[in-house]
Amino acid sequence: MITIKLFAAMAEEAGKETIEMTWQEGMTTEDVKRWLAEQYPSLASRIPAAMVAVNQEFAAFANPLQDGDEVAFIPPVSGG
Amino acid sequence: MLLIVRLKHTNHLPPPLSEAQVAGNSLIGACPSMDTRYSRQLLFAPIGKEGQKKLGASRVAIVGAGALGAVLANHMVRAGVGFVRIIDRDFVEPSNLQRQMLYDEEDAANHLPKAAAAAEKLKKVNSEVIIDPVIADVTAVNAEELLADCDLILDGTDNFAIRFLINDVAVKHNIPWVYGGAVSAKGMFATIRPHVTPCLRCLIPEPPSGGETCDTAGVIGPIIHIVASYQAVEGLKILVGDQKHRNPHLEHMEIWRNFHTRINLTDKKNPDCPACGKGVFEFLDLSGKEDTFTSLCGRNSVQISPTRDRHVNLDELMERFTPLGKVERNKFLLRFHVDNHYILVVFPNGRVVVQGTDDITIARSLYAKYIGA
Repeated sequence: MITIKLFAAMAEEAGKETIEMTWQEGMTTEDVKRWLAEQYPSLASRIPAAMVAVNQEFAAFANPLQDGDEVAFIPPVSGG
Repeated sequence: MLLIVRLKHTNHLPPPLSEAQVAGNSLIGACPSMDTRYSRQLLFAPIGKEGQKKLGASRVAIVGAGALGAVLANHMVRAGVGFVRIIDRDFVEPSNLQRQMLYDEEDAANHLPKAAAAAEKLKKVNSEVIIDPVIADVTAVNAEELLADCDLILDGTDNFAIRFLINDVAVKHNIPWVYGGAVSAKGMFATIRPHVTPCLRCLIPEPPSGGETCDTAGVIGPIIHIVASYQAVEGLKILVGDQKHRNPHLEHMEIWRNFHTRINLTDKKNPDCPACGKGVFEFLDLSGKEDTFTSLCGRNSVQISPTRDRHVNLDELMERFTPLGKVERNKFLLRFHVDNHYILVVFPNGRVVVQGTDDITIARSLYAKYIGA
């Protein structure tokens, strides 16, 4: 199982902070992004600009995933 | 020549004190010695005398003198950073006063540019610091000139277009910078050390479009101070050279709902990153760039930034506009009221902010009609 954690505006948009997804061998963060955009179309526009962390560590493009990993999506904060 | 307004009197060392000032200083001790002024900071072991000397020899650029920038500038000037450049394109408005702690009602009534107002205040705080106020929009044309001669860049901006530009300059010239953002009660910051930590383009693959801004989602004062103070302390660590204690995380928080978390950025550079991986600086690429018309989200304004130099004589413009409508003028800008509906704010470097519309087409036609294409 992969636990997806959503933060800030993405959590508000989806109406929840945590989503579970079935893990498969060879899966990467890109698969999680695709699945999330399909399941929650309202998040689709935010996903490409969100920072992705796996188990609280920043994950660059297509980070491989293990069963039980937590994948967090953090929309960057702009104002100032 | 670039599209920059520099304020001559603060571009160099402060002018010599008048006799009255000298007399005043000797009476009230207004100009304390380094040991007195920085005594509490000298006692703080990680800075100490050595660190203080390094701060005094350092050059910092603060991009944006809004809410975050005002706090950053305050910390850098009070801490005794030798040279502080404060860059901002805006003027003080009444809605800023709730959180932008360098400004007051008089600044707003006089439509003072934030960079100038900030420099005026901070000169009174620490006359030993060279403060270089720059009234300009940081663009691909001027970004390297404004930032590349500094040891550290602090992000006081409110949008990602400019942060990606800062990132390109920082990576290209190997200058550390500290990202910070705040909106509603949420905030985020991270230190970016080019070729050591991931850069902004490693972290955020695409510049976010839309999203919340202070002008649409609001913001409360305390989150500004929290984020900017974290940025400032990371900046001080960089300037005194304390690598051991640098914060390796991107931290984000929501202080109304009591949430704080972090992600570790150590060793997570993206080898395919266009900026720090491949050395391609797309945001500094000037080819095909034309004058830009930007709708300032939530502010019912459009900004026109000319790509090429365009010196505007505000006195001539004032003569031309006076028969046509109300004109206000200070030494930094001119405000021309059109049809009781729009206000054209004109800066000497050719930049114009059209207030009263967020429609780029309307702004474009007003600009062509009154300023000239």
